Amino acid sequence: MRNLSRARARGPIVMIVVVGFLAISILHLLLTIATSQSVYELSDLKREKRELDTTSQIIAEEVASLSSQQNLLNTAAKLGMVANSNPVFLRLDDQSVLGKPKPALNSASQSRNLVANSAMIDTKPAKNKTTPASQAEPQKLPQVASVSAIPASPTR
Amino acid sequence: MNHAGPVSARKIRLLITISVILVFVFLIRLIDFQVVRAEAINQESYEKRAVARTIPAVRGDILDASGNILATTVYRYDINAAPAIVRPVERKIDGIAQVVSVEAVATELARILEVDVAELLPKLIGKSHYVNLKKRVDAETHRQIVELEIPWIFADPHHDRLYPNGAVAGNLIGFVGTDGEALAGIERQFNACLAGVDGKETFEKGVDGIKIPSSTVVIQQAKPGRDVILTIDADLQYQAQQVLAAEVKRLRADWATAVVIEVKTGRIVLAAEAPSVDPNNPGKSPKSERGARVFQYAYEPGSTMKAVTAATAIDTGYATVNTQVKAPSSMKVFDRVIKDSYSHPPTKWTLTGVLRFSSNVGTIKFAEKVPAKTRYEYMEAFGFGKPTAVGFEGETQGVLNHYTEWDGVTNFTTMFGQALSVSPVQMASAYQVLANEGVRLNPVLVAGCQDDEGNLTAVPKSEPTRVVSANTANDVMHVLEKIVEQGAIGQATAVPGYRSAGKTGTAEIAEGNGYGDFFATSFFGMAPVDNPKYAMGVMIYKPKRIWTNAMAASFGYQKILSQVLLANRVSPSTGKSPDLPTEWK
Repeated sequence: MRNLSRARARGPIVMIVVVGFLAISILHLLLTIATSQSVYELSDLKREKRELDTTSQIIAEEVASLSSQQNLLNTAAKLGMVANSNPVFLRLDDQSVLGKPKPALNSASQSRNLVANSAMIDTKPAKNKTTPASQAEPQKLPQVASVSAIPASPTR
Repeated sequence: MNHAGPVSARKIRLLITISVILVFVFLIRLIDFQVVRAEAINQESYEKRAVARTIPAVRGDILDASGNILATTVYRYDINAAPAIVRPVERKIDGIAQVVSVEAVATELARILEVDVAELLPKLIGKSHYVNLKKRVDAETHRQIVELEIPWIFADPHHDRLYPNGAVAGNLIGFVGTDGEALAGIERQFNACLAGVDGKETFEKGVDGIKIPSSTVVIQQAKPGRDVILTIDADLQYQAQQVLAAEVKRLRADWATAVVIEVKTGRIVLAAEAPSVDPNNPGKSPKSERGARVFQYAYEPGSTMKAVTAATAIDTGYATVNTQVKAPSSMKVFDRVIKDSYSHPPTKWTLTGVLRFSSNVGTIKFAEKVPAKTRYEYMEAFGFGKPTAVGFEGETQGVLNHYTEWDGVTNFTTMFGQALSVSPVQMASAYQVLANEGVRLNPVLVAGCQDDEGNLTAVPKSEPTRVVSANTANDVMHVLEKIVEQGAIGQATAVPGYRSAGKTGTAEIAEGNGYGDFFATSFFGMAPVDNPKYAMGVMIYKPKRIWTNAMAASFGYQKILSQVLLANRVSPSTGKSPDLPTEWK
């Protein structure tokens, strides 16, 4: 009887220990899962950072190539821009002209690049599919208000 | 049962005793492993798994005065394969798993890597775990390779140096080797600033030698290098290189240089030359073009030295701008005949006229009274005979023998720039003295070393030194202005709207025991005369067209000067030059 009553008295303690053990195990399991999840997330973020760093480098190299002096001169030359080494100034004090206006010479040093740059990236745009002029639809001109509709002269 | 009870109890006790002893033994062993020797065992275990690796420090950038990047560090990738595990690649195309043959994969790789597939395919055969397919491909190419998802392809990243503007200031920047070692120019001279401190990390590997994910431990973070800030203007440097390259071609010259120095600060705005090395590919340039002739080449300057001789004579009181001489076109000095560049009857020139017509004989006439020791000391004070404070790698000091070593002829020829040699930057620096009221400022090429937070450790400034009086310097500058106003070559250097001054130089080039057939023609000067901002010089080496006078240098000088004045928004000149007679009656 005494043993039985002792066993009954120990029952709740055993239950508490078992439940406690289970609770701790489950908590541990959850924490482990959460940690593992974070590790994967961290790994993904690191991979994403690497990708973005690579993208950043690719773009930075392209920008550096486009803004290189060689590319700027080539582009300016294509647009017909030529530097003039004969500047002319108008002095406001006495309205005198300093220098003799001369057209800029399209010399070799101004019309094409002569300074090597093997880092220049070929940034030719992809060839677009073009439509022969004969097949192209006529361009629609924007609507312009008729002169008679303007109430007053736009300039004074 | 009664019989078995005591036996079982004994057995149980024995069993318990043995168990307790075993537990005790294991406990002691456990304590020994887990507590007493835990650290040593852990260390031993870790050492078997861990691999130490250096984290290379990112090298600093080289920037121009406006912050434009001239040199930077980027990642490049070595693309490698493991032939031992090469097999067809499984891919999902439109959601359907497909197997791509090794040959087809190799064709894809060859297209991206821009190599011949016939050359690439044999590399994929074998039992090796490593074979290199291509070295140092850029990030874009590497990304395209990664997107192919080939399990037997891997890449090793490396730091590499990129010079986005190519040969612009390539002569100054220098370059690094494929192993990252600085080999020339600013890269080498300022390596202590540019190079960071490498870090260290470890990672763990499995039995198969493959890295265990997330096992990396950084022992020491890498400390990135700092940036070097130059004084040059990259745009003007490019313009000057363009002009020089065109002139070298037009004049069929060997090479050409140009130097522009800010008069009030000594900062070098441009130090250009053509041809110039592209640091992205230094191997493409011959060895002679991989340096900076502006600093490293010394030549006999010829008549540009006459401005220094005139300043010496005026400053010591032996002459004025109006000192009168009567100069024939040749004179005998000891055993040698010294001639002017053209034949003329004995002419009554002032000192101004002597420089205007660049007479060697006239120069001797007004300067011969100045003691050799005095002239030597002035030449030293102007900066000749020693390297500049820039301290550029391999910089020449030129040749300026001590006056006690001058023989009778040398005593005279040094007056007009023979029997001594100077670098282009030394001569430009001498003209800076004349443009800066006689005060010499050491040329500056590097402003300083800047860390990530923008803290600039400036290169120590040297003290300004007075070489000649302000009156002397201004007098000589006004004499040189007459050359631009009146001389045909000088006029070709003029920029409309600005008063400028300068001196021609047509120097013979020593070959063997005498002089060769070709010249180093130059023009050095300053502008604007009414408010000097820039001292500059252009030198064309061995032009095969227009080789007998400095006209060869005038066109390039004018173009570069006009760009420098306009780019820096220098106000046009006011006033007129003083009236200085060139002849007397």
